[in-house]
Amino acid sequence: MLKPIKILLALGLGLVSTAQAIAPTEADLKALQSRLDAAGTRITRLQDLTDVEIVQNAYGYYVDKAQWRSLSELFDENATLEIGGKGIFTGRARVFEYMNVGLGPIGPRDGLLIDHQQFQCLPTILPDGVTAKARCIAWVMSSGGWGHCYYENEYIKKDGVWRLKTLHGPFNMYSGYKVGWVDNVITNTFPEKFPPWPDLPPKVVYLAYPSYYAEPFHYPNPVTGKPMPAPSPRAGGEAFGR
Amino acid sequence: MKSIILACALVLLPATSSFAASDAARYAALQSRLAAIEAESAQVEAIVQVQRLGRAFGYYTDKGFFGEAADLFTDDASFQWGNDGVYRGKARIRELLTRHGGGSLKEAPGLPFGRLNLRMQLQPVVTVAADGLSAQARWREWGLLGQYKKWAGWGDAVIEDRYVKEGGVWKIATRQYFLNFETPYEGGWAALKPGAGNGPSDVAKAFPPDAPPTVNYKAFPETFIPPYHYAGSASPVALQSRAPVKAVQRPADALGKLEAEADARELQLARTHSVRAIENLQAMYGYYIDKGQWKQAAALFSREGSYEFGQGGVYVGPASIERGLSLMGPQGLEAGQLNNYVMAQPIIHVSADNRTAKARWRSDVLLSRAGKGRWGGGVYENEYVNDKGTWKFGTLHYHVTFWGDYEQGWAARPFPVEGPSTTVPPDRPPTVTYQSFPKLQVVPYHYANPVSGKPHAGE
Repeated sequence: MLKPIKILLALGLGLVSTAQAIAPTEADLKALQSRLDAAGTRITRLQDLTDVEIVQNAYGYYVDKAQWRSLSELFDENATLEIGGKGIFTGRARVFEYMNVGLGPIGPRDGLLIDHQQFQCLPTILPDGVTAKARCIAWVMSSGGWGHCYYENEYIKKDGVWRLKTLHGPFNMYSGYKVGWVDNVITNTFPEKFPPWPDLPPKVVYLAYPSYYAEPFHYPNPVTGKPMPAPSPRAGGEAFGR
Repeated sequence: MKSIILACALVLLPATSSFAASDAARYAALQSRLAAIEAESAQVEAIVQVQRLGRAFGYYTDKGFFGEAADLFTDDASFQWGNDGVYRGKARIRELLTRHGGGSLKEAPGLPFGRLNLRMQLQPVVTVAADGLSAQARWREWGLLGQYKKWAGWGDAVIEDRYVKEGGVWKIATRQYFLNFETPYEGGWAALKPGAGNGPSDVAKAFPPDAPPTVNYKAFPETFIPPYHYAGSASPVALQSRAPVKAVQRPADALGKLEAEADARELQLARTHSVRAIENLQAMYGYYIDKGQWKQAAALFSREGSYEFGQGGVYVGPASIERGLSLMGPQGLEAGQLNNYVMAQPIIHVSADNRTAKARWRSDVLLSRAGKGRWGGGVYENEYVNDKGTWKFGTLHYHVTFWGDYEQGWAARPFPVEGPSTTVPPDRPPTVTYQSFPKLQVVPYHYANPVSGKPHAGE
């Protein structure tokens, strides 16, 4: 702790005393202005990370109480939504319909718990500063039991406000309560099982636990910078590792 | 952090205290403030990067990307797994994770049919060193483990990490993985017998560690508090941001314009730094509650702070809050008492002047008392105050969504939310009246819809 104080004090006071005699030129002020601008961009990126996470976390609280109107307002009007294996729904109105028809009518219903807890959010602001991605988890505690799904979502900043552009929620594990995931798991939802029907087919067809599916990471390895390696084609089978 | 703020305050003086300050002095002061802004930005970026490393680790191990997970460590990193001991270097860490997760060293990433290895990485408290080159963090891991048709289980651990910045890249240098329990789903943690987690794991028997553990401990159901990296500090760095400052009227000249802009940037940075300090505060509170450290938890409140849990009424001031918290059990808890309050899903809004903040949080609760397991869930709507640069709780209010029996689940056997204690009565009655599940209530949001800006009326 002591060392950095000394360094910083030396830096700060040193600048004051040595610069005392030298008044800034116009070029100096210009340089200072661009340094301030750069700092502003940097700080805004930090705020953006929080703002993106707020949109995602707000989504979870709205699901809890079936507040579909508020929930759909988190989406851009041209946004898409794809959850489980149900296919893609395009536009804010269809997001509302997916929830209101597929999950149940608007508003909380006594005796029906659908808590969608948002965990482990890992947001990334892209270099353009107006698009972002995030990987997150929904850990579901519902009247029916457990659910664990990822999100790999995209966000855009329009009129200074971050909003959902693409919500993609691949399932990892859904099970009942009594014996947990040792048995009685649901491997996915499907376009034809319940209305409404999707606008577009699923982006990828896969089965969740006890099978294996690894939703691609939107980010490279934070240390090596390398992209995600492809999983083994045997992953999810008994032959894996043999 | 303190060093940066100090340096900044010192060089601010010549610019603000005297109108007679020369242009040269004002210019020099601005340059120093910029340097402080840049240094503080780097500190907040470091917090973000450490959070990112921890979360990326979880996403890798979930799906059997154990090599990718090991790559998050330094070449000479060490990893202490529970009471087993310490494994050194990336190759050994990779094998350790692979063996515990049920993966394979022989082929590309993945898991075999039926293997579940979801390890959720939650509740970070991040402390960045003043030089910005190292950091520490505490995490909670909540594991969903299993093999289809054979077994399902829960994992519970606290992680204490040290990180270093090497060549501009943050990496995990040491990890202490304090496994609290791995327990079968059937019966859950309440069925665990003393000594369950103390012996060497099956993995350690087949794959012995490189060194004995640096800390030996007794896992649940016995009581043990994994050492806090922020222990012993009255005002931990993790809770600090800039102290609130009075707005200053700057002169209308060219330098004045830059000074005003620096004021705005400092405030903007302070507010985003405060978001991270508040995340740390809520997480820290959760870790104290886990272990029945009521005194330490109560010390996180401001002098006028208040605490309201469910329908239990309001306790005002740290001494009273400590009494209210102690309704959960004796200080330090007893063997067999699990009191996990997971802190997640923050929505934090810092006031425009960086003096106060509000936040919504979610808590999952994993309990056991007298051999019975219990689930809980709820929502916090809290207020915070910036006390001369250190964030504290103003009001903490936990709204109970549900309590439920472990054996039968919350849907089959919910418990009602309890009213005020008669033995340790609150200072004030509950601020709202409600019933918990099977009744549902929408806990009022402190914010409007973050995208449309509309209020939540009518929903």
